[in-house]
Amino acid sequence: MLKFHQVHKAYTTPQGPLRVLDGVDMDLEKGQSLALMGESGSGKSTLLHLAAGLDLPDAGKITFQGISIATLDEPGRARLRRQSLGLVFQQFHLVPSLNASDNLRLQARLAGRENPSWTRHLVERLGLTGLERRYPEQLSGGQQQRLAIGRALAPRPALLLADEPTGNLDETSAKDVLTLMLELVQESGSALLLVTHSPQVAAPLDRCLKLTRGHLAEPTA
Amino acid sequence: MIVTAMRTLLSHYRRHPGQLLMLLLGLWVASALWSGVQAINASARDSYARAESLFTQNLDSLTRRDGAPLSRETYIELRRSGLEVSPLLEGEVESAEGVRLNILGIDPLTLPDDSGFASAGSGEALVAFMTPPYQTRLAPDTLKALGLARQDAANARPQLENGRRLPPLVLTPNLPPDTLLMDIAAASRLLETQGTFTRLVARPGEISDVPEALLLTPAATLVSPGQLTESFHLNLTALALLALVVGLFIVQAALGLALEQRLGMLRTLRALGVPGRTLVGLLALELLLLGGAGALLGIVSGVWLAQALLPDVAATLGSLYGAGVAAELSLPWHYWLGGLGVTLGGLFIAGTGVLWRAGRLSVLGLGQAQAWRAGFHRQLRTMSIAGALGGLMALGLWLWLTRLPAGEGLLAGFGLVTMLLLASALCLPPLLALMLAGLARLAKKRPLAQWALADLQLQLPRLALAMMALLIALSANLGVSSMVGGFRLTFLDWLDQRLAAELYLQPAPEYFEEINDWLLARPEVAETLPTSSAEATLLEALPANGSARTLTLAVSVFGITPGERLRAHWPLLNTLVGRDAAWAAITAGQALINEQLAIAQGIAPGDRLKLSSPTGPQTLQVVGVYPDYGNPRGEVALATSQLTKRFAAPPSSLGIVLHAGANTISVQNALVEHFGRREAATGVETLTDQQEVKRIATDIFERTFSITRALNALTLGVAALALLATLLAQSRERRRQLAPLWALGVTRSRLAGLQLSQLCGAALVTALLAVPLGIALTACLVSVINVAAFGWRLPLHLFPGEILLTVGVAVGVAALAALLPVLSLWRTPPRELLSQFEAT
Repeated sequence: MLKFHQVHKAYTTPQGPLRVLDGVDMDLEKGQSLALMGESGSGKSTLLHLAAGLDLPDAGKITFQGISIATLDEPGRARLRRQSLGLVFQQFHLVPSLNASDNLRLQARLAGRENPSWTRHLVERLGLTGLERRYPEQLSGGQQQRLAIGRALAPRPALLLADEPTGNLDETSAKDVLTLMLELVQESGSALLLVTHSPQVAAPLDRCLKLTRGHLAEPTA
Repeated sequence: MIVTAMRTLLSHYRRHPGQLLMLLLGLWVASALWSGVQAINASARDSYARAESLFTQNLDSLTRRDGAPLSRETYIELRRSGLEVSPLLEGEVESAEGVRLNILGIDPLTLPDDSGFASAGSGEALVAFMTPPYQTRLAPDTLKALGLARQDAANARPQLENGRRLPPLVLTPNLPPDTLLMDIAAASRLLETQGTFTRLVARPGEISDVPEALLLTPAATLVSPGQLTESFHLNLTALALLALVVGLFIVQAALGLALEQRLGMLRTLRALGVPGRTLVGLLALELLLLGGAGALLGIVSGVWLAQALLPDVAATLGSLYGAGVAAELSLPWHYWLGGLGVTLGGLFIAGTGVLWRAGRLSVLGLGQAQAWRAGFHRQLRTMSIAGALGGLMALGLWLWLTRLPAGEGLLAGFGLVTMLLLASALCLPPLLALMLAGLARLAKKRPLAQWALADLQLQLPRLALAMMALLIALSANLGVSSMVGGFRLTFLDWLDQRLAAELYLQPAPEYFEEINDWLLARPEVAETLPTSSAEATLLEALPANGSARTLTLAVSVFGITPGERLRAHWPLLNTLVGRDAAWAAITAGQALINEQLAIAQGIAPGDRLKLSSPTGPQTLQVVGVYPDYGNPRGEVALATSQLTKRFAAPPSSLGIVLHAGANTISVQNALVEHFGRREAATGVETLTDQQEVKRIATDIFERTFSITRALNALTLGVAALALLATLLAQSRERRRQLAPLWALGVTRSRLAGLQLSQLCGAALVTALLAVPLGIALTACLVSVINVAAFGWRLPLHLFPGEILLTVGVAVGVAALAALLPVLSLWRTPPRELLSQFEAT
């Protein structure tokens, strides 16, 4: 479903070009979950941004459901995100001026695929019942991240991209949120690409790859 | 997708209604003041157009020199001598509603065919107009003064205050407001004038030999109300434009803030699949919606404002220029479109920069306020360059304007003022940033002061626009108040110059000598100052060094008596060899000219003028130039005795100078007692007390500038609102900045004090910068705009008290605007500050 073939990406820095991805190959199948690990600054988030079409590679090819992302123009890539992807960020990125209910429904509405029974199910499963009218700032960190996961899964995307989704949470909340996310991903039938630096977070996923100096490899032990 | 994205964008305002209010307020105020003034201008122009269709038909006019009405015999005599003159009867009546209305009686049969007066029609309409019961032609907007609705108007015969009834009404839309046009016989009956006329009119050039008792006013010397009032309306427009600009500053500040706070939302929306172009399009649509709402609110309030101000403006225009303006609004269709266009255009200018920046930010860096701030540093550089370029352009315009002849370049003059204001406003944020950076370095050993200065630097991107608006409003306030104050002093001087004597009288020509002799014999009278006036054509100007220039310029010739009192009061701007020599030369038969003539024709003391006169061309040497405020025409002043002799002009008025301590009322009573009982009209009824004339003139002056002052104060109010709105809009984030300091042990009261002093300090610096700018603005107004508009220069007066007051107002405005957020911080419970601290 998602394929990276010899993807290169570098950034210009005052010290010269910084190669973040150096010929990355990766394959993610439908319904599969993949953890992407690496040290801070190793390029995990860059890889996720490329997968989401938020950025373009310098060289190589990224295809999603057989379509090369680089061949899509900006509105095309936006349509891809809207219709087929769900994104969960470490900083939640909820819309502060919308209440929990509207935040949860936002992406489904943008995609034109709002499903009331699925949304109700999500609210219930995410433990947000009774909090629908609250604004993000009135929710705890764990509640905010659960809401962000709900927003991403509301349109039942083909692929969920999660960038350190538990990085801002305490240990207990992190565990709860992760378990819930994996269960819901399974229920919705989505694939999952999760970026993390924590082996504990990566452990329950189907596969795990590690990004080191721009290359992807199976983690050693 | 579009509806959801739009709803999400707009949801920001639900959580930040203050910002929406600030945006709408800016648009509303800008649009209301602009539309209000334009509504007044449009209505006044409509009235002038209607008046001009009657009065500027190039008709020469004959009146009696002594101001008395013309008799039927004089008219018949002139017609028999072959002169095709037509009689006019003008007067005033009071309606039952207490409104004064002008009556204009015409004789349609003798009027020149192409005259605007000849609106009586032809055939049956003409017969109905000229025969009993006659007709009253009037414009529909005059009906209100008669207490009638339009549907009841046809053939109604409303009663006047004196019980008489008007002839049946016929609506004629192109007539001026408050004017009733009728046949001269009907007018005569209504005004009880027993067959006399106020003037006779004829085609230009028709009358060549004017009987001695009559005065010919050629059509060429008449100025239309539209021309006279052009500067007045231009001044109003300029002030409204200023308010519009200040309002748009608020709009831009609000837009910038709203966008900055929505950067995270924009990033999220883009990440969720809303294309960047769609988002920019939606932001533009949001602008359009807000602009439409603001413009609509503004136009409605503007019309209301105009309705409230129009009676005062109409009264001012009537008393200053004799221009009749309808007290009811008459708005053409293009007014509505214009108001909407200007507001949306202004919004477009204010919003383009914001949209452009939003469109350029990358999706991955979109949520970072840092990117926005880095943008501000680039902006500061651009502002400095644009400010410097604006300054250079202003300098260039000023140099060009100094080379233009007087009476030209008014628009360029306003361009200069605009450029000066904009250049200074653009230079303000870089200057403030530079000052703050310097001060922060100086305050290294005082950590709290250093923090306050560094924090103010961080606030600058948001405060910059409000401070720019404050600078513009303050300097405009200072400039306009200094100009008005200076004008006031000059005007009072001019009144003293023209009204040097205690009493004024216009005796009938046949009694002039007798009254003058009688007055001079009175012990209370120190001297009399006879005046006279005539019209002449300036044929040639002969410079002291150079060759003669041939001219054909109509000028007034004014006779003055250079007595002791007049010499002391009459200012001279420039003389050939000093004041005393100039007055001696005047007595000997030389001339003074007014500043308008000197500037317009480049005439200086020492030059000689050749003027037409009934006794043949007269050559006079110019020995001085005097200021002549408010007079649009060129004037030559001679000694009255010389004018009587050389221009065959009879004396017209008599100034009566009394000894110190003499009782004005006893002289008045004695004069009326001695001459008032004669059967013939001696003119003693025209006796006027100088104090009374000065009071009336000063009242008119004050009323003229009350509108200017009101608009000016409103502009300052708008700037204060801009500051308040900016501070309120960012108060929540300010708390987030202050919470760490509180956590470090700074008390809430200290924090509140810091915030107050930060803002008052910034306002003080802005106000201090506004002082030189205000002075420069005053200089532009008095020496550029005034010369371009009126042909004369006002002396530059500065009022230190006024300057101090303005600086105080600026600091007060800032303190007031800061007070609400400061109070809110003061009242914030520590628990909440703690949560703010955690959120940072």
